[in-house]
Amino acid sequence: MGPFELNTTISNLRNLRESDLSAYDAVYLGNIYCRIYEDNFLERLDDLEEGIALVKGQGLRAYVTSYAAPRNEVLPKVQKALETAAAAGADAVEVHNLGVLRMVHEQFPGMPAHIGGFANVYTDAGVEVLKEYGAVRFTPNYEISLDEVGAITSGVGMPAELVVHGKMPLGVSDYCFLLEYEQKWPEKCPTLCQKNLFLKQGDWAMRTVGKGVLSGKDVCMLEHLPALIAAGHNVFRIEAAYETPAYRLNIARIYRAALERAAAGDRTEDESAWDTIREHTAVGLCNGFYFGRTGAEYVGKRPQPAVAC
Amino acid sequence: MVELLAPAGNLEMVKAAVENGANAIYVGARGWSRRRDAYELSDEKLHEAIAIAHGGGAKIRVAINTNMQSSEIPSLLKKMEKFVGWGVDGAIMTDVGAIAQVHRSFPGLVLHASIGANILNNEDVKFYRSIGVSQVVADTKLTLRELASREADIDVGIEVLIHANHCYTYLGKCWMSPYMRLERTPDDFGKDVFRGSPNRGGLDYRVCLEKWELLDDKALLEPVITLKNAAFFYLDDIPALIDLGVHCLKIQGREYPVPLVAGIVRFYRELIDTYVAKPAEQPFDLAPWRMRLEAIQAERDSKRSNMTLVLLNEARQPVPPRV
Repeated sequence: MGPFELNTTISNLRNLRESDLSAYDAVYLGNIYCRIYEDNFLERLDDLEEGIALVKGQGLRAYVTSYAAPRNEVLPKVQKALETAAAAGADAVEVHNLGVLRMVHEQFPGMPAHIGGFANVYTDAGVEVLKEYGAVRFTPNYEISLDEVGAITSGVGMPAELVVHGKMPLGVSDYCFLLEYEQKWPEKCPTLCQKNLFLKQGDWAMRTVGKGVLSGKDVCMLEHLPALIAAGHNVFRIEAAYETPAYRLNIARIYRAALERAAAGDRTEDESAWDTIREHTAVGLCNGFYFGRTGAEYVGKRPQPAVAC
Repeated sequence: MVELLAPAGNLEMVKAAVENGANAIYVGARGWSRRRDAYELSDEKLHEAIAIAHGGGAKIRVAINTNMQSSEIPSLLKKMEKFVGWGVDGAIMTDVGAIAQVHRSFPGLVLHASIGANILNNEDVKFYRSIGVSQVVADTKLTLRELASREADIDVGIEVLIHANHCYTYLGKCWMSPYMRLERTPDDFGKDVFRGSPNRGGLDYRVCLEKWELLDDKALLEPVITLKNAAFFYLDDIPALIDLGVHCLKIQGREYPVPLVAGIVRFYRELIDTYVAKPAEQPFDLAPWRMRLEAIQAERDSKRSNMTLVLLNEARQPVPPRV
């Protein structure tokens, strides 16, 4: 790995083929929310195999993610996806469920496990336990601050993966309410949830993907990257599972350039990048919980409107 | 015999739960459980609660089920040492690291994986078993069939919530509330309280219960979307749960008035006892129980609606600047 890793998430082969990944170092394959998401890699194992080959063929690391909330009936499919990941040479698997972590540890002992954001990592003691099960990296729960993340990484010496841009996950459900309304709309499942759907009430807004709720605002840590690098973080994610290929590319180019500058100690900022970022956000920007505040707030030099849906 | 586990948000409720037939009672340690501090007990009160419960022949469990900070685990262990010394019968916990450390320090203490641990499948159960948990709370979305599939070789008790909420999201996997408002303040004992985050021991503003508009970009698709979130009482499934051999039927509701909780506990005590006492071949008529439950449910619904309005209003208040 170079001085840092920039990665993203892609749910299916079509999105993968349409995406220019030149600004990334690694890609997570699969949709964690819904089994019937259009051609989800986690259900179409031939596609997953091809996807891993495509990603690795570009010189990138290929990771396979897994469901955020798998019930018993899903575990056999998870098992098959893990087998495919191992056979096709995936570089790691991401797990959001500790039962799945146990499966990886017992059945694929050589496979590095990345702990996902839904696995609820809040403490260094928690990471110590997960380490015994083969975890090599963790995404902290989204609602903890950078200070708390630092306490974990320094305590256990395991890298944290930080979402630096994109729609932060806020919740996962077993129930897709969009299906109740589907008959009224021209767009149907399985592509309905790929529309730019927002739940809005007054100055509150959240992005909905049916079984998942994401932040309405885009988490944006662009102006804070030098501080993240200085704190020793080196794995960064653009959360773009439900974004367009243009978003995936343009945002990643901005972050790659900014990370390279930050890693080289260059504190200059590219002001034109903010125009691109604004073009790619519907509701505005926030920092999530990184500064110990309300998740929808933005801390920095570029204050955001409450909401602009 | 299945255990009836009741909530208690104050000492009066502990007493009422014991008197109305709870086999066990759970209370939250102030600052450390998934409810606001008004429904948690100080250490001194918790000590009294243990005496009241034990005096009435009931067990008592302490909920320490926040997702705490790394720096708070040493003080948690000190607190647990005190509680264990006082004779607490078990602890309800969420964070896997805290569970492992408490298990190492107090290997004889019964540990329950909280609803916040969001245990969804048999592999999850095995994982928690391996770090010292002996009972798990089943997620409210699990079906009877899923509960029945718990493999016989998993030596773990199952707790089923019989009065609780079916949230839109999985419990323990939702931070919509603090996304809208998070107020972090130290409590009187120096512990951080994360008001707005149920996972972190603050209150949940129930923002999912807002009347949401659904927009496709800027175009209005639906004027009102309701995300499913309903409080429930189990009734029809109680006989099946008892027959299935679940270890514990758990009532949530530390935040409700004492008479209401007392009535819920009495209702389930009598329902369980009546069902267990009847001859196996005799059918069980739930109709009279249904009528009785309707009155309890109406009162619960009224209290819950009022609380939701208060919480949603509080969620809109600005966060005071930190001192």
